[in-house]
Order: sequence, then C-alpha cells, then structure tokens
Amino acid sequence: MKLYNNIITRGAAIVTIASLITFTGCKKSFLDVPTQGAPPATQFFVTADDATKAVNSIYANLREWTEVAFAPIALESLGSDDTETGSDPSDGSVAFMNLYDSYTVTSTQGQLLDFWTGRYKTINLCNQVLDNVPNINMDANLKARYLAEAKFIRAYEYFRLVRAFGDVPLRLHVPTANEFNIPRTPKAQVWAAIEQDLTDAAGVLPQSYAGVNVGRATKGAALALHAKAAMYQQKWSDVLAFTNQVMGLGYSLFPSFEQQFRTNNENNSESVFEIQAELVPGNAAASNSQYSQVQGVRSVNGGGWGFNVPTQDLANSFETGDPRRDATIIFRGETTPQGDPIPASVPNPMYNQKSYVPFSLWQSGFNEGCQQNIRVIRYADVLLMNAEAANELGQTQPALTSLELVRNRARGGNAAILPQVTTTDKTALRNAIWKERRSELAMEFDRYFDVIRQGRGTEVFGPRGWKANKNEVWPIPSTEVEKSGGTLTQNPGY
Amino acid sequence: MKRIITISLCGLLCLLFINRASAQNITVKGTVTDSKTGETLVGVSIAVKSTQTGTQTGPDGKFTLSAAPTAELSISYIGYATQTIAVAGKTDIDVKLVAQTNELQQVVVVGYGTQRKLDVTGSVVQIKGEEISKQSSVNPISSLQGKVAGVQITNSGSPGASPEVRIRGLGTVYGNANPLYVVDGVWYDDISFLNPNDVESLSVLKDASSEAIYGIRAANGVILITTKKGSKNTKATVNYDGIVGNQVITNEFKLANGQQYATIINELDVLGGAAQGRYADPNSFGTTDWNHQIYRNALITNHNLTVNGGNDKSTYNVAFGYLKQDGIVSTNTFDRYTLRIKNDFELSQYLKVGYTLTGNLNQSRDIDGSIFHQTYAAVPIVPVRYADGTYGDPNDFNVTSSAMFNPQVTLDFFNQRSKTYRANGNVYADLKFAKHFTFHTSLGGDYGQGAVTNYSPLYTATFSQRSTKSTLTLTNNQTRNWIFENTLTYQNTFNKDHSLTVLLGQGAQSYRFNQTIESAENVPDNGNGYYLSQGNNYKLKDVEYGQYPLYSTVSSYFGRVNYSFKSRYLLNATLRADGSSKFSPSERWGYFPAVGAGWVISEEEFMKNQSFFNTLKLRGSWGKNGNMGVPAALSTLVVTQNDGLIYVGPGGYTSPGANITTIVPDQIYWEKSSGTDIGIEASMLKNRLYAEVGYYDKRTDRAIFDAPILSSIGLSSSSGSSIISNQATFQNKGFEFLVTWKDKIGKDFGYTLSGNLGINQNKVLSVAGNNYIDQAVNTVGSANINTHTVLGQPIGQFYGLKVVGIFQTPEEVAAYKKGDNQIMPNAKAGDFKYQDVNNDGVIDDKDRVVLGNPNPKFTYGFNTAFTYKNFDLAIDVQGVAGVDIYNANVALRFGTENYSQDFFNNRWHGAGTSNTYPSANIAGGQNNRSNSFYVESGSYVRVRNMQLGYTIPTAITSKLNINRLRVFVNAQNALNFFSYKGFSPEVGGGATRAGVDANVYPLYATYNFGVNVGF
Repeated sequence: MKLYNNIITRGAAIVTIASLITFTGCKKSFLDVPTQGAPPATQFFVTADDATKAVNSIYANLREWTEVAFAPIALESLGSDDTETGSDPSDGSVAFMNLYDSYTVTSTQGQLLDFWTGRYKTINLCNQVLDNVPNINMDANLKARYLAEAKFIRAYEYFRLVRAFGDVPLRLHVPTANEFNIPRTPKAQVWAAIEQDLTDAAGVLPQSYAGVNVGRATKGAALALHAKAAMYQQKWSDVLAFTNQVMGLGYSLFPSFEQQFRTNNENNSESVFEIQAELVPGNAAASNSQYSQVQGVRSVNGGGWGFNVPTQDLANSFETGDPRRDATIIFRGETTPQGDPIPASVPNPMYNQKSYVPFSLWQSGFNEGCQQNIRVIRYADVLLMNAEAANELGQTQPALTSLELVRNRARGGNAAILPQVTTTDKTALRNAIWKERRSELAMEFDRYFDVIRQGRGTEVFGPRGWKANKNEVWPIPSTEVEKSGGTLTQNPGY
Repeated sequence: MKRIITISLCGLLCLLFINRASAQNITVKGTVTDSKTGETLVGVSIAVKSTQTGTQTGPDGKFTLSAAPTAELSISYIGYATQTIAVAGKTDIDVKLVAQTNELQQVVVVGYGTQRKLDVTGSVVQIKGEEISKQSSVNPISSLQGKVAGVQITNSGSPGASPEVRIRGLGTVYGNANPLYVVDGVWYDDISFLNPNDVESLSVLKDASSEAIYGIRAANGVILITTKKGSKNTKATVNYDGIVGNQVITNEFKLANGQQYATIINELDVLGGAAQGRYADPNSFGTTDWNHQIYRNALITNHNLTVNGGNDKSTYNVAFGYLKQDGIVSTNTFDRYTLRIKNDFELSQYLKVGYTLTGNLNQSRDIDGSIFHQTYAAVPIVPVRYADGTYGDPNDFNVTSSAMFNPQVTLDFFNQRSKTYRANGNVYADLKFAKHFTFHTSLGGDYGQGAVTNYSPLYTATFSQRSTKSTLTLTNNQTRNWIFENTLTYQNTFNKDHSLTVLLGQGAQSYRFNQTIESAENVPDNGNGYYLSQGNNYKLKDVEYGQYPLYSTVSSYFGRVNYSFKSRYLLNATLRADGSSKFSPSERWGYFPAVGAGWVISEEEFMKNQSFFNTLKLRGSWGKNGNMGVPAALSTLVVTQNDGLIYVGPGGYTSPGANITTIVPDQIYWEKSSGTDIGIEASMLKNRLYAEVGYYDKRTDRAIFDAPILSSIGLSSSSGSSIISNQATFQNKGFEFLVTWKDKIGKDFGYTLSGNLGINQNKVLSVAGNNYIDQAVNTVGSANINTHTVLGQPIGQFYGLKVVGIFQTPEEVAAYKKGDNQIMPNAKAGDFKYQDVNNDGVIDDKDRVVLGNPNPKFTYGFNTAFTYKNFDLAIDVQGVAGVDIYNANVALRFGTENYSQDFFNNRWHGAGTSNTYPSANIAGGQNNRSNSFYVESGSYVRVRNMQLGYTIPTAITSKLNINRLRVFVNAQNALNFFSYKGFSPEVGGGATRAGVDANVYPLYATYNFGVNVGF
C-alpha cells in the first residue's frame, strides 16, 4: 500500500513538474504568435511588386463612394445652376442634399466630412507611395513613373480640396504622431504644391500607354490639370502654355458628343484623364463605382437613385438646336439612343445622361452602371481653357479657333445650328467661352466652381441664396475642427 | 494514511473499552454518499447514539466502527440533513445523505472547486439543472432570464441563436461583453452546443473576487456549468424527457391595411408637392396581411434520452438529445442533435479519472436577415400571388423602387443551409496523496466545423426581384481550441477550528479559428447539389480580406487560499497571472489579485440564544479581472489588401492593390475590471425565509475606447476616423436583492416564492480628452448619429434632436423664429418642430441632447413553485424597467414603404390632427433625423414560464415497471406587457449600438406538452 502510494505521489510530482517545465520552458515561443491573416506592414514596400500594388490601390480608390458619389454631388455639383437634388422627396437623403443646393448647409453636415476624409484618404495612399517606393530596389524608369503617377493623383485631390474649402492642411508625407494636428496651409501654398507635383509628374509621365495600362496618368493629364490649376489662379499665360502643350500631344475631339460618354467609347481620343471602372465578373467589391448608380434614372431596373438631376435652367440654357442638350439630359418619357424607354412615371423630369449606362448592361448583385468610367478631363475642356486664356491675353484669333473646334464637333455636321462665334470683343468672347463651357461641360462637376472662379457667384447663384464672402468655399467639417482642439479654423460665415 | 489507521485503532480501542459490557458488538462498515450525486463524502461524523463512540469517513467516504447490533447510528455532515439509522444487526450500512434545504448550507460550485455557500465570501448564485431544463429553452442560458439578480439576458428568439448576457451591466465597448462559460472545467465563449437537459447545476459568479481565479476572461462574469453524471451503485436508469410544442406570435404588431396604406401614400404624395395622390380610390384596394403570410405557428419538438448508473468504482451517464425547432418565419428550420457521454472511474482509493465527450450537430435552413424589416415595410395592396399563380409585383402598384419587394419572393429564393459539427469535452485525473493533497489535471478541447451553403438561383419573380445569374457561396469555418490545466489542492483542519484550503494551478490555452468563403457564378441547379467547379468566376474571399485565421494563446498561473476559523470568520485570497499572445510583449502579462472576507454572525456565541436567524453572514470582497476578449494584435500595423483596392483597366483587366491605410495604437493593454462587493445573506424562520442583499461597484479601467484622430491624416482604423486605445473607465454599480420563502402547509402542499431585483447604473466614468463614440445605427441619412457614448453618461445612450411638437400650419413654421431668423425655414406643416437647444437660430447637430438609455436600470424576476400531492406548478415572471428603445423601423424608409397601423391612426394629416406624430412624410425633410419621437420605453413584464405537472402515482406506474412518470404542460412568454410599438421589446445589440430596433425577431409564445419517464 505504501509503495503504491509512493509511486502515485512521485508520478504526480513528475507530471506536475513536467507540465510546469513544458509551459514555462517554452513560454516565450508559446505566447509569440505570428501576425495572422494579413502580413505586417514591415513586410510591405520591399519589392517592385509591392510598389505596383500600392500604386494600383491609388487608382482603385478613385472609384470609391466619397470620390464619385454623394460627397462630390453635394460639394462639387449641387451648388451650381445646372443641377438639383432630384430623387424622391420621401427619400431620407433628399433633405440634406438640398442644404447644398440652397447654401444653407452648416458645418455639421456629414457630406462635408465625407468629402474631406475621402480626399485625404487618397492623399495618404499617394504619400505612402511617395515616402516608401523611393527606397525599393527596382527598375528605375518604372519607379520614376510610379512616383509621378502618385504625384498627379495627389495634385488632383488637393485641387479638389482647395476648390471646396480654400486653405486646407497640406500633407506631403505620411505624418508622424506629432504631425497629426497641423493648421490649415494658406491656399497659395496649396496651389504651389499642386503645381509642383504636376510639374514633376508632367516631366516623367509617358504620353500614352498600351493595353491594360491605358487609363493611367499621362503627361497630357498632368499638363491639363496644371492648366486648370493655373486657370483657377488666373495665371493665364501658364494656362495658355500648358494647354498649347497638350494640344501638341495628338488628342482630338471624339466625333459624336453623345457617343463619347458610352462605355464602349471609353479612353477615346478625347480622353485626357478618366477614372477606370469595370464590371468585374464575380467581384462586386472591385466593381464598386456608384457614380452612375446614384445619378441613374430612378425607379427603373438598371437605372439608379436619381440624384443630381439637371435643372430646367440648364435645359433652357442651350442654344436652339444644340444636340448637346439631348445628349446631356435624359427627359422623362423619351427613349434613349440606346433604346431604353424612360417611363413617364419616373419621379424626376430629367436625369444626367453623361453618366447613363444602358439598363441592359446591369447585372444583379452589382451597382447599376458600375462599368462607367468617370471622365475627369476631356480634350474639349482643354480647348476651352486654351480659348479662355488666349482671350484673356488678347490673342483673339487662337481663342476663336479653339472655341470653334468645340462648337464644330457639337454641331455634328448640322450647319444650321451653333453658328461660329466671330466676335473679337474681349468681353463678348469671354462670355461666349463661358457659355460654351456650360453647354459642353454640363453635369461634369465643373460648373459650380467655374462660376465662382469667374467672379459671378452672386450674379448666377445669388437669387438662390448664394452669398459672397461666404459661399465661395464650404465650411470645414465641424468634427474635424473640434478634434483639432482649435488648431483648425472655420471658414468665415459658418 | 498512517494517521487514518492510528485514528481507527484508537477508535477501536475506545470502543472496546467503553462497550466492554456488550461483548456482542459487531463491526459495521459502510460508505456515505450524497443521495443525489452519488459522490462519496469525506469527514462525515458517524456516532453511535447514547454512547461516546464515533468515527469519521475516510477520503474514500468509507467508515468502519463497532456497535451493538441494536444500536442506532447518527450520521451528520455539514450541509446535509442528519440521519439516524438502526444497525439492526447489519454489518454493511451504506448511507445516502440528503443535502439540506438551507440555501447557505448547500454546496456551490466555485472556480476550481466547490464550497458551502456559507463559506463563500463573494456573490455566487447557483441554479439547479432542473430549473433550467424545466423551461424547455433551446439554450441553457436563456432559462436564466429573471432567475438571478443582476443578470440580464436578452433572447433573440431566432432558433439556435445564443442569448446576450450581461452580468452586472455592460463593462466594455470593444471587448466581448458576454461572460466566460466554463463547462466541466473547459472554457467557452458560447455554449450553444449544450443541451439544457444535460446541466446538473449552473453557478453564476458575479463579483470580482469570485471571478478572479479566471483572471483573463472574467471581467464580464463567469458562469460555471457542471453536467450530469451517473450515481454510484445504481442500476441503469433510463430517463426519457420529451416535449412537443407550438410557437405562436404574441403581441402582434399591426401594420396599415390596404385602404390605410393607399390613403397615407396619397397624403405623402401631396406633401411631396403632387396635386393629388397616386391612388385614385384608396377603398378599392384589398389587404395582404404580410405578418400572417410570412410568420406562422411553428412546431417545436425536443426528445432527450438519458441512461445513467454506476457501480462502486465507476459511474456513467449517456445522454442523447434531438431538438427540432421550426422558426416562426415560414421557411426557417433548425435541428440539433446532441450526444454527451460522461464516465468516471475510481482506479483506486487515490486515483480517479474520467472524461466528458460531447458531440453536437446543428443544421438549419436559414432566412434572409432582412425579412423582418421587409415584412414591416411590405406594401399591403400587393397580393402575395396573382390569380394566375405568379408573384404579386409591387411594380404594378405604382410604388417607389425602395418598396419594390414581395417578402414571399425574398423567402422563396433565399436558399441557404447551415451545418455545424462540434465535438468537445475533457479528460481528467484526480490524485489524492499524502492525505491532504489532491492533484487534478485536465485536458479539454473544442473542435468545431461549420459549413454554410448559399445558392442564389437564376430567377425572375417580380420586376425588381430577379437575378440574371446564379451564385453559389460556400462558407467554411473551423474552430480548434484546447485548454490544459493542473491544480494542486491542500486541505486541512488544524486544532478543529482552523480550516485551510490552498490551491495552486497552472494552465495553458490555445484558440484557433479560420474561415474561408468561396463563390462561383453561373452554377447550374441540377437538383442534387451544387458544385463550384461547374460555375465560373470562382473566387476565394479570405485571402484578400486578411481577417482570418485567428490564433491566440494564453499561459496562466494561479493560486488561492481559503481560511476559516470556527466556520465563523472567513478569509479568501486569490492571485492569477495570465499571459496572452494578443498583446504586445511588454504588456503581455496581467496580474489579477482578489481578497474576500466573511463573518458568519450566526456562529457567534451571542447568537446562540436567538432562533430568528438560522444562519446570518456578512461578506465583503474586492478583486481585479481582465478581459482578453478583444481583437488580437491590435497594435500591429498590417497591410490592407482588399477587393476595393484592385486596379481595374480596359476590358475588365484587374491587378491586385494593397497599401497601408490604417493606423494602430502604440500598444494595447488588457482591459482590467475591478470590483467591490458587499453582501448580507440570511436564512431565517426555520430556514423558510432566505434573503440576500448586495451592493457592488465594478469598474473597467483602461477600457478600450476611441481616440479621435484627424480625418486629414487619411488613415483610419476599424472604427473609422479614430484609433482605439486604453483610455476610458466604465462603471457599473448597483444593488441586488433576493428573497425566497419556502414552506409547507399541511402534508401535501409545498410552495416556494422567490423574488429578485437588480438595480444597475452604467456610466462612462472617465475618458481621456473627453473623447466620445458616435454611431448611426439603422438611421437614414448621412452621419445621422443616434447613439453617443460620452463621459458621465451610460454607454451607447440615445442621442438626437428634441421634438417639441408638430408644425400645424405654414404660419407656425414662419413664426418659429429667433430674432428675424426663421429657425426651420425648410420645414412644412406636419413636420417635427425641434428645439433650438443652443439657441443659435439654426437646427443642426449642435442641438442634440440625450434621449434615452439602452442599458436597463432594473431587471427583476418573481419565481414560484407549488406542489400539491402529485401536482406541481411553477410560474416565473420576469421583466426589465428603466430602459429605452430607439424605434428605427419607423423612419427606415426611402419611399412608399408601409407604415404601422399605430402610425396611421395617430399621424398628423391636417392642422390639429396631432401634435406628437408627424405627417406621412416622416422620412423626408428633417423628420428622419435622430430625435426624441423615435425613443420609446423598453420596459416590459412577462410571464416567462408557466408549468403545470402531474406525477402519476407510483401505485400505478410500478405495475408498468416505470419508476416515475410525469406529464406537464408549459407556456413560455405567454403573457407580455409593454408599451413599446414594435414586434418585441427584447432588442439587444452590441455595445454602443444596443437597443436600436430595425430588424428584430418577433416575439412569440411557446405552448408545450411534455412527459418525463424514468425506468
């Protein structure tokens, strides 16, 4: 009995000690579990493949909701006289979208923050590339191109920020913790940074790409955006110089104004920069553009939500017989050129036709129109910038030439409409160019800031409540101001 | 060993000496066991009546003594009723002691051991298995509702779903807020695999000191479950318990009928600017009652077969259960098979081994989660089907696209089946040595595998309910956990008065989970299964999302000392150290101390002469616990690679994208909770009255909370534009009361009345930098925040604008001014009039105020049991009070969805018609902004369980060779009282998102008929 007891006692002691040794002895390795699921960041930005993926992510993010949907509609479109909220009054989003249409928005409204956050998220992706890719050992040419692409898109995002808010925090590197809370940078410096990025990008980017790379940022895109940035600062000789450079790169207007916006004519000869969007079979998350969906014809299958619709004022603004009116606006009750009947029962009289994707292309499980590329800069815009700059600099003839190129294409061979502009009076020509911009670029998220840039805010938008010295910019999102603890200031009047 | 022999020899000598007159003394041997569990009892006093002779049972529960054949033995043991047995010439006397009814004398299961309730210095409540199985719930925890003060259970009603459990309030925002479950020593986060019928007892550890021995996962309470085992020396007994029941929707929430719908939609049109409404003659429409179309009375059957028994060396218990529960949504079914085998062997007097093995299979036909809201919103003028058998198409009824669904189509074309296999259990060995030591080792494991098959077919049912392709999605997940623990216990009593128990332990745990989701499109439906390989566009999802696998490990050391002096003064100290792989190495280890003290006043000399109190105890404790139920490696920055970052190019070209898009805190530490607990427990009036009063103050320090970061840094965390770090303190403090009266009237009538009440106050006690967490839960519109977690207020309180009335006329809108400024210039008659709280002449987010609290202030239960002869009756009432619900259903609309009948009846439809309900345009204008109209009282009282049973007299059953035959009827949730205007006041939801009703399972009652048979 005693022996048996001893054996058991010893056995127990051995088991206890053994188990203690097992777990204390290898305690360190037992609790050191490798990072699961996703690789740690320390393993990224090492190879050329990482650089490719990181640059890919920048382009991909341009399709995202805050880039192309509600926030741009609110801040870049609804303030204009071309568009109004649309949709159905019983839709809960109509009320807050209306606040932008009526300039009564206050700093707490959510789309302000969405727009702000969305721009900075893409800027972060660019900064990650610009900070980290230089250290990667890879093909030097490809590396230089990648960095130039990132700079182009960073400039594009700051351009949108400075237009919408004026002074904004300028971040040209991934911030360290003590750089999180920085004040707003005066807009002159933001413009300077935009121009620097575009100068750098234009010096490196190729004129064009082949195959699957079509759609990446080109030299022409950088120059055209640079021209636009210069135009907003009234640096007319720069605008003229940059647009002239673009005009030497082989772009041409697409023959059919209406057809250029269809999915089968994406990346055409007129395309200077387009955000690429596709319906990727089996992958709704990669087919995530909602640009066409939110603006699509409401209450039809394959249509959309019916936001950001043309105003009667826009419909009335076209010259008699201008085919662009029909190509820009889907009228309730019509049948589209692609054969979609628009029922008379849809809630809004008009919809955006430039974002329209034929209903038959919709597939269940996908956003309607997710395959539509977003036309950011068209050659027509470049020509009109060229015309405007030339006119401002007193070069009337080149101005008239560029303007006529745009009107000629719009005419579509019908000599009876859109007579050639021949005035040599600077003011009259300026007005003609501005009018042409409205007709040519309607519904393309340009009109609101164009009018403000032209100093005509009160004249054009005043009757709807726009006030000078306030509504040139939107309020800085209030939560951002609060989080900064006073470092960020609010725009006057908000 | 030596000592036992010595004592026995002494005893024998004494016997010889004392009883020298009685030369005919015989040697009596026997074993003392618990009458219920068959467990041998150690240290039981056996005295020969009217003599000085006596002995105690040894470690094996055996005793030997010498007594006259005519003597009587008195067998007494703490916590058990004393028994007197006549020797009557027998030499083998086995005694089964019956545990005493006094609550405080009962043995309760505590962490890594058992204790008399009287010796416990913390707040521990034990519920017997029969109280749980009696309720015919599917999950054993569901039955705790209303049974334990301070424990709030929210049952979702969905077949197979686990309830939400909050012990003493909500103490975490990012961690797991549910308690830790320990089943026979194995740790689980979820015990849906456990058949309620297999539960022997269930202990709820509520205070920090009792929980501290489970350090790492104990911050939200611990529920210890012991499963049934066989009894020693019992012939095989076979028990069958079965029920068949009907589940019926109660407190049905009515929706507007066809005419009402057409009327109110016409009003909506006119409010929207139309000259007249879209429906020319509202009275021309019939009504589809979608509630009755989608919901049904559903059958539930539950069969349990148990075989148990044992010889003197081993016991066994084998239980098989089959549950079939149809959901009240007409296509929903749930089947559960459970098998549980438990075997214990006494290999020797010193060595005991055993194992428990559970096998579990769940299978279900699932429903689309949106069906509840769809049923609420479905257009009642649309028929389910047309006369030709095709589906009623909302598009034919001039409704907006947001209302273009026929819920029947949603049900019919949702084809998803789930299967879950789970096997778990443990093996253990108990070794007693050197008289006072017990070494216990246990290895437990939990292996689970789940498969979900979802096939979305190619179909065209209505204008907008169709699919141009089929999609097959297969989700597979796998759980592999193990836990290995060793404890060494020393137990001894010195000089009769000093009782000491020391426990030392060590353990290791490992948790792995993985999930993969595969999908393919255009998979043919060939009637006998679906094959990914037959489709195209194959996709494996997990790789891109980087969410899985999960893997974490834990290493632990723990110890506890219990000391009591004369069973009068109790002291208890615990220390546990846990290391978890989830935290950065420098912060990996957490140390969790606890102390407790008790004073059993009734044992004092000065209490000897009173008879009011049978026992009276004052206890107090303090302890610290951790919550490792937070996501792993939160402070490790990882690469983001997902589908949204895929580069796409012409012709559908894709190329993966990845980048660094997130920000992580420098370090994440344990969430630590510490709690103080004070209580009085008293058994009075001949043990008929038992009362417990407790106070607690529990704090979660270093709780993980959002620290806002500027959006302009362009990085986000899982919580959006904030990072999370340990920076808040949450507090839950309150009182708990329990009063039980148990008595008999005459011989035949026995009854128990028991009431409990928990009062809890939840509060964010401190947070760095006045940070807050805002959530927009099921609201429409951008940043339409309805919960706001902020300093000084409860977690997840409702937040929004304050409605002061309804604008009756445009003049009233115009007259609502500050100075010359119209405060709500865009409002229309029939819209909410909001209070300009900050008085700046504008209504915006700065005017938001606290609207309500989703954390109940009061939870209570009233439980009764009556027996009369062979009848037994139990009625349990339960409720919550001081709680609010955000009724998001009302404003969750985008067009011409249906309204509730309550809304129709009370709506504003012209000046003077209502000053509380708005017009039909409730989702338009500023009306859908989170506001006080949507916040309603969530208080309810319900008769949770009623059961009437009759046991057939043994005189009859014994002829049929049946030991016991009982039949019963049972009703659950049959009577509910609440004012909330929705399907059910039991809403639930995660921290900071709780209590928002948008899609809850409708409330239903279950009526069962059941039988218990024992052979």
